[in-house]
Amino acid sequence: MGGAERTARKQRQQAQAGKSVVRARNAASDRRKIIIGIVAVVVVAAAVIGGVLWTISNRNQTEGQTINPDGGTSLAADVVQKRDGVVVTVGKPGATSTIDVYADFLCPICGTFESTYRVQIEQAINNGQLQVKYHMVPLLTTKSAPPGYSLDSANAALAAADAGKFVQFHDALFKSQPEEGGRGYDKQQLIDLGKGVGITDPNFASEVNAGTYNDQITTAFTQIENDPSLQQDIQGQKSFGTPTVVSKGQIINWQDASWLERVIGG
Amino acid sequence: MLDTIGTLARFGLAAVWLISGAVKLAGPGQTYIAVQAYDVLPHGLVGVVATALPLVEIVLGLALLAGVATRYVAGAALVLLLVLIAGIAQSWARGLSIDCGCFGGGGQVSQGQTQYPQEILRDSGFALLAVWLLVRPRTWLSVDGWLKGGHGNSAEPGHDYSGVAEGN
Repeated sequence: MGGAERTARKQRQQAQAGKSVVRARNAASDRRKIIIGIVAVVVVAAAVIGGVLWTISNRNQTEGQTINPDGGTSLAADVVQKRDGVVVTVGKPGATSTIDVYADFLCPICGTFESTYRVQIEQAINNGQLQVKYHMVPLLTTKSAPPGYSLDSANAALAAADAGKFVQFHDALFKSQPEEGGRGYDKQQLIDLGKGVGITDPNFASEVNAGTYNDQITTAFTQIENDPSLQQDIQGQKSFGTPTVVSKGQIINWQDASWLERVIGG
Repeated sequence: MLDTIGTLARFGLAAVWLISGAVKLAGPGQTYIAVQAYDVLPHGLVGVVATALPLVEIVLGLALLAGVATRYVAGAALVLLLVLIAGIAQSWARGLSIDCGCFGGGGQVSQGQTQYPQEILRDSGFALLAVWLLVRPRTWLSVDGWLKGGHGNSAEPGHDYSGVAEGN
């Protein structure tokens, strides 16, 4: 066997070996790609499925819930609740001061206003110092999913006023306020809350279902929104927002913790 | 050097998507309000987009973090950013007063509080990161690099990992 021949064979062998290394590397690379592909698909699928389930359940939190009928209402027995059109007046006969409260059951800041001042307001009502005119404003009717909670709850509150249970109903709704952008409560849940706060009149359920006051509420809302005396400076722009509290024709700065004392005192 | 810039771009963009997606996912109600405020989608689609958008963002973020199919993911990220910028721009042009809700929040704000130019500039900056990765997807510490080079990076010269994604 000549030297040249040997060299040639060696070269062939090396080339052969080189090819198989490349092949092995390719096979390993393909395996990796498959593994990575599977991992990627599994991670994406898990993230998407988990995320969708979480989102849907979070948005529909209120589904199947019973609204707690105890909103912490502490009204005295002789306080009168009276519906007049779409305004509900709550107070003792001869109350010395009056405020108008414009609020939406879905509006988060209205919920803050209620949780902060409900006790004080009801105490002032019980003391005969204050009567409150509640205006239900369907400002956020499109801001629930499905839309309509704002208007449905306003209508139901007026129906509850017909049964003499407005404040109890109102306080319970604010205490269990649903999240903006979420499901809200449906009519059946509102009807069940009515029963929970002690409404026995069967008209209540039919008024809630029929949306008896919807048109009046919407008409009043248009007037309220366009009433210059109810518009506030928000960042240099005049606009109506909720909650708005008015006393003697003036918008009250309710962020100031002593606003109620001033209203009652003056 | 260029690989390092690309790597920073990749991790930066990954952080943007992961944070914005996670914040949106954590507040589904708020995200719904934010999507609705753009006032471009029919009612039935608002919920779908509000559900899907945070998840798409998180998936993009995870893919960028891992460096999987970087070029294609960067392309998708760029498309999404352009859609979001278009959404902000149309709100501005129509005189809506909304917060973009890009990183949580969102919905209507009063007219003095809009920040359209800043929001568009910010998103354009993110889009530049995506463009870089689209043009030059080679980065360090990427799955793409690991698939090709076997060392979890692209240190070996002569490889262009841009085509790696085709396998996936």
